[in-house]
Amino acid sequence: MDRITPVINKDSHFAIFPIVCVDHCAHIANVKFSDVAIDGEKIAQVLTHGYNCYQYDMVLLFLDAYIEAQALGCPVRFTPYSTLLGPRSIQGFDRTNEIIKAAQILMEKIKVPLFVSIKGPFTLASFLTGMQDFLKMLLKDPTHAKAVIEQALDFQTKYLERLLEVGANIFIGDPVASATVISPVVFRDFAYEPLKILLSMIRKKGALSGIHICGDTAPLIPMLDTLGTDILSIEDITIKSTTLKMGGVSTSTILRGSPADIRTEMERALQEPRLILSTSCDVPVETNPDNIKAMIGWAHEYTDN
Amino acid sequence: MQGVNLKLDEIRKAVIEMDDVKTAQLVNTALKQGLAPQDILNNCLIPGMKEVGELFTRKEYYVPEVLLASEAFYAGFNIVSPLIKSQSTEKKTKVIIGVVKGDIHDIGKNIVKVLIEASGYDIMDLGKDVSTERFIKAVTIEKPAVLAMSSLMTTTLVHMEEVIKELIKKKMRRNIKVIVGGAPVNEEFANRIGADGYAEDAMQAVKLIKKITIG
Ligand code: B1M
Repeated sequence: MDRITPVINKDSHFAIFPIVCVDHCAHIANVKFSDVAIDGEKIAQVLTHGYNCYQYDMVLLFLDAYIEAQALGCPVRFTPYSTLLGPRSIQGFDRTNEIIKAAQILMEKIKVPLFVSIKGPFTLASFLTGMQDFLKMLLKDPTHAKAVIEQALDFQTKYLERLLEVGANIFIGDPVASATVISPVVFRDFAYEPLKILLSMIRKKGALSGIHICGDTAPLIPMLDTLGTDILSIEDITIKSTTLKMGGVSTSTILRGSPADIRTEMERALQEPRLILSTSCDVPVETNPDNIKAMIGWAHEYTDN
Repeated sequence: MQGVNLKLDEIRKAVIEMDDVKTAQLVNTALKQGLAPQDILNNCLIPGMKEVGELFTRKEYYVPEVLLASEAFYAGFNIVSPLIKSQSTEKKTKVIIGVVKGDIHDIGKNIVKVLIEASGYDIMDLGKDVSTERFIKAVTIEKPAVLAMSSLMTTTLVHMEEVIKELIKKKMRRNIKVIVGGAPVNEEFANRIGADGYAEDAMQAVKLIKKITIG
């Protein structure tokens, strides 16, 4: 059942999805992340396990942030979880086929909307170049920075086409484009346009879209609102935005808080007229499943009343 | 004297304006004019970088601006530093910094590092995803006055406590001050794990180091 679209269409108050990703699902399924990270079938298996366990309103296929960077030649280590070891320097190792395979399986198996996570071209470019060098390049050599972002965008448009072909909805994560890191001017000049291009491709296919940027997003909201994304996943949902927001429970509360703490944050969040009730970022791997169940259980209780 | 003062201020401004080439040129000119390298460092480069830190705190500068300004700072620092070393007998206070195990967020740590170095400390950077063993090994070998640990994730905070416990176990804790920082860290956490202090941002980290290493 699709509870997400009615919220987007303003027909419903909220839907629930704590950002449970492949790493946590593998953890609760007792499977090694490093085995899952390179195998589409296993990715689908653990995400199905997570969905069956928690029964949230959407599934997010987010494995790690480095799928595209690794395909383009960045070294990545999988143990215990994915770590980017450096900028583009080796022969690419392409896991996009595994992601597509997993998406195909999940589209068949799961009756709630499936979103596949891809990286924003700005963040991807920062991985390809190396974070420090990229951030400096933005001001020192903007033409070069734009060229790297263009390469990243080129890869992402092709990858996105394949994902949209499968029928998946798309979440674009662009954490380095956060105003915790870059100025709104840099966001406007470098990160905005590539996001717009990807979002227009998603819209044309009739798929749903989301953007996730963590950290400080307040000064970016006026720009983000003009992108036309369906969902905006941000850390502080009290910021005014014309786009449907996603968030409400901080990742520290879901990890360390009690069910009562979680409920307090949920109650506060539900004062929003419409919301995808969620966590501020990915649910940490070691989160106690009881906390996630408490979050979802209480959301269902709230809906029933 | 007016002319010399003007040059000094130009160096400070070149750091703030993130111009590494100009900073190096001005520093070389100032040295040729007979200015002491220590004065160039203390009265131009350090105040310049401090102002950059303040601009960052006020959100007038963001990370790219700070990184470029630190390049300008180092362009001058790398010229005067060897001259100061060869003239001075005074040993600088040593600080070791690193991001704890499991955490690759190093943008903030890099800013903290620059400002500590820009304030006249001798800093050794262990990088990111630093294991407890590596912290302990570095402290054993380098014997710094301060160990500065950064963590941006709730899940990796535990490793800060682990390092402190290990220092106690190895009877090294009394000889070193430990400070912690990063977005999920706060004063209460720092107290609970037995750190000597917590700093909210890079500017505070410098002030804290100064405070705890006096005397
Ligand atoms: C010792 O004394 C001191 C004193 C002061 C000290 C100090 C030490 N250290 C820092 N300070 C202080 O001074 C600095 C300067 O003033 C300040 O440093 P900061 O680092 O705070 O500030 C920097 C200047 C700018 N800030 C930053 O650079 C962090 C910004 C946010 C958006 C962020 C970014 C950019 C990134 N991330 Co990620 N990231 C987020 C961040 C959101 C946020 N709210 O912070 C955070 C930290 N990330 C998070 C997560 C979950 C993750 N990230 C990940 C990856 C990344 C990127 C690679 C994309 C990138 C990091 C690039 C890099 N090389 O550092 C993954 C982590 C992988 C890993 N093993 O580490 C991943 C796990 C996501 C994933 N599933 O892949 C969250 C952690 C949640 C939590 N509480 O545990 C997060 C808070 C986002 C969120 N909304 O939940 C102060 O804290």
